[in-house]
Amino acid sequence: MSNLRYVGNPSLQNVDGADKVSGRAKYVCDMVVPGMLIAKVLRSPLPHARILKLDPAPALAVPGVKAVITHADFVDDGNFGWPVKDAYVLAVNKVRHVGEPVAAVAAETEAAAIAGLNAVVVDYEPLPVISTVDQAMAPDAPQIPEVSPTGKGNLCNTHILRNGDPAPLLTEAPVRFEATYEMPHQEHAYMETEGALAIPEPDGGVTLYANNQSPHINRDIAAQVLGLPTNQVRVIQPPIGGAFGGKDEVLYQTSAQAAKLAMLAGRPVKLIFTRSESMTASYKRQAMRSHIVLGAEADGTLRAAKVDLTVDNGAYASGTPLASWRATMHAAGGYRYTAVHVDMQSVYTNNGYSGAFRGFGNTQAGAAVELAIDELAERLGLDPLEYRLQNCLREGDTTMTGDLLDQAVGLTDCLEWIRDRSEWTEKRAEYAAQPEGSPTRRGIGVACYFHGSGLGGEGEDFATATLRIEEDTSITLTSGLTDFGQGSRTVFALLAAETLGVDIDRVRVLRPDTQTTLDSGPTVASRASIVGGNAVRVTTEKVALLLNLAAADLLRCDPRQLIRDGECYVGPDETPVSFEAVVGHAREMGLQLSAQGRWQIRPIEWNFETGTGEPYFCYVFGAQVAEVEVNRRTGRSRVRKIWAAHDAGKILFPKGALGQMYGGIAQGLGFALMENFRFKDGVPQTLSFKQYRLPRATDVPEIEGTYIQTAGAIGPYGAKNLAEPVMIGTAPAIANAFAQATGIRVRGFPLPRVKG
Amino acid sequence: MRLTFTLNSEAVSLDSIAEDMLLLDLLRDTLGLTGTKRGCETGTCGMCSVLVDSKLTRSCRTPVTKIAGHTVTTIEGMLGPDGELCDLQRAFLEYGAVQCGFCSPAMVLAGEALLRRTLTPSREEIRRAISGILCRCTGYQQIVDAIEATAHHRRGRQDATGGSEAQ
Repeated sequence: MSNLRYVGNPSLQNVDGADKVSGRAKYVCDMVVPGMLIAKVLRSPLPHARILKLDPAPALAVPGVKAVITHADFVDDGNFGWPVKDAYVLAVNKVRHVGEPVAAVAAETEAAAIAGLNAVVVDYEPLPVISTVDQAMAPDAPQIPEVSPTGKGNLCNTHILRNGDPAPLLTEAPVRFEATYEMPHQEHAYMETEGALAIPEPDGGVTLYANNQSPHINRDIAAQVLGLPTNQVRVIQPPIGGAFGGKDEVLYQTSAQAAKLAMLAGRPVKLIFTRSESMTASYKRQAMRSHIVLGAEADGTLRAAKVDLTVDNGAYASGTPLASWRATMHAAGGYRYTAVHVDMQSVYTNNGYSGAFRGFGNTQAGAAVELAIDELAERLGLDPLEYRLQNCLREGDTTMTGDLLDQAVGLTDCLEWIRDRSEWTEKRAEYAAQPEGSPTRRGIGVACYFHGSGLGGEGEDFATATLRIEEDTSITLTSGLTDFGQGSRTVFALLAAETLGVDIDRVRVLRPDTQTTLDSGPTVASRASIVGGNAVRVTTEKVALLLNLAAADLLRCDPRQLIRDGECYVGPDETPVSFEAVVGHAREMGLQLSAQGRWQIRPIEWNFETGTGEPYFCYVFGAQVAEVEVNRRTGRSRVRKIWAAHDAGKILFPKGALGQMYGGIAQGLGFALMENFRFKDGVPQTLSFKQYRLPRATDVPEIEGTYIQTAGAIGPYGAKNLAEPVMIGTAPAIANAFAQATGIRVRGFPLPRVKG
Repeated sequence: MRLTFTLNSEAVSLDSIAEDMLLLDLLRDTLGLTGTKRGCETGTCGMCSVLVDSKLTRSCRTPVTKIAGHTVTTIEGMLGPDGELCDLQRAFLEYGAVQCGFCSPAMVLAGEALLRRTLTPSREEIRRAISGILCRCTGYQQIVDAIEATAHHRRGRQDATGGSEAQ
């Protein structure tokens, strides 16, 4: 593995960076096609109301309006959603959150489209608003869904984890810690808002350009609600301006709306969200309450945990049933326990709706337990970093779910690296001795995390790829997985080039197009490099094998005698032959130089009824230290520096991997310090970047990060995943530093201002 | 109204431009220069930033009347005559400063505005210079790296040419 040319090469650049940095990349909002109409969506101003009357017809009388739609224009009212099928393309009977789409209009101009929306007649009867999970679970609470998925009112779903019996251990434990943490909603705030461009096709089908994460799922849902066969809906993936989990369900609604309008009008239709529309109508990170009970020996050894999670998933289930399962699997953190129980209930409210967001439930659950562990260490009088080293997962341990770690576990290496690089011990002592009256106070804090790889028990974890060598010996590679900025096109290109032994410049990775790429499942769960990457590897190996046979035939030797010198093939007589010559010879031999391949993670079994099983095939680990300064006059907290280490196995694309780390940390910093998507009686309060503050370059400190490259992982060339979990440690590390600086233990985010 | 200004080193003269038109709409909708992005409606995200003379300016907050007679540089104007990337754009790639790419045009122009003022910026100064532009992907660090490295290179070139060349 020492001769790798591209895998792990620190100078390798993003393959589509030049398109983007030059301004040439065409995002869906940049696209213009002849005859294009502009669509606008009428959205509910109320968090909960019955629709007494909905008459779209007057919109058609508005000059310039070419089409108007409601739920009635879709098959089965446009009902979709997985695993809970409770969503609609446009509202049916009721609206359940502010911003829910009710009708949509396509017109010659934006002004005409807005005039058309104003002409749509909607009468609402306001219903009681449920704005807290406690209200939602009250026995007499009005039910938000028409049909309760659990048969228990607003209870959307539950998950349990049963690993041993923590009850007696917690009763007997010499040290017991119990607290409740409340994590807020978070907005994805991708810089590019949601958008779709639909073009009606002469055969009655439709082509969609949409900034969705998972084009094949979008195609399948659009076909279903439009009543078209799947092969008459084509979804083409343009560049995407950030996603972070947020461009799934909301894009399925949007794409289906644009497609139906285009089919009715017989003209292309573009539908692009404004920022306030995006912040109103898109799903969020779930707000989550963690009630945590920890039991430890007098020396600090952790024995048992019991965690109760209550999740506010808002008005529709979206990705929450899956994210809340991941939260359940991680709610006691990356530590050794004798017994752990977790009970999760996810409930409907009228607080917008929530779904997938980077970390997928572990961001909230992992933060809560890291605050609790820090408090427990303090109660025990132990250094919080050394306390984590005492209890954290190592190879051969079992996780909180009882899963045996028969893989390399880099968590202690991560903790030791950040301890040493941050000069933890010295700073911890120095800041503990700060004079009372100083105008600023500093603190240093730590957090760690573990994170199951891939989809785990959430679903079938596979991907596909195709590769072909073109007539001119350039190479075309496809994957059904999407690059929304995380760099998967670069990873796929480098894997193909490495595996085939060719220059990366030969390889072009097409963006997904459902007509030419094969379904690869959703682009979620930081699975592209591992699952998609392995699919690229096995596909490329098929073609590499054919070329080896051709080269051996050309050089009249056994394939095992071949060596490579750059792109050239060299046989026993040491005369190099070019890649082109080998390709040409392969064609003369009648070999077809194209392949498709599929790779799937071995099936794992989680029993949702008993709360036992193997939730994931492998895990990643990481730890972070944050240094915080609190200004006692302004009360503001500023993060001075962050040190981060993450065990992601072999790093494939170093520049991209570091970028994922830095970006994840910035999102975690925002979660801790300033972001908080607020609802008041179900009405969103933070609908612009003035009201919802995001970290700017002056808020994010210098980050010193590294990857601990443990060996033996299942991904291509030994890679594990990284993009989502890198953000989990940041917010709790900052809060734990804040605790040292101020003496205040927070039980949720964002951190308060502390003056004086 | 008739609008005359310099756009990416070329003289532009347009007729029948509405006086209340915003520069962002002129660039994107009238002139088809879609490298300048729209990210919000409140002037807070910075995606629409361009250079007016050498000053970083939010085009979504700039009526076209304000640019009459001035020089506007968009991301398209940063490219060389054959469409090649400029040194700062290349540095963005070399330092891994591009992820989704949506903020990249504005970030490049923010860096350019800074480097026209000084070739010896501290990292803090670079952070302040790009703080008007949000990025949700990168955590900013590699963008700071890229601008810092370009400052270093331009300084080297300036020293080599005896300070006669600005970039």
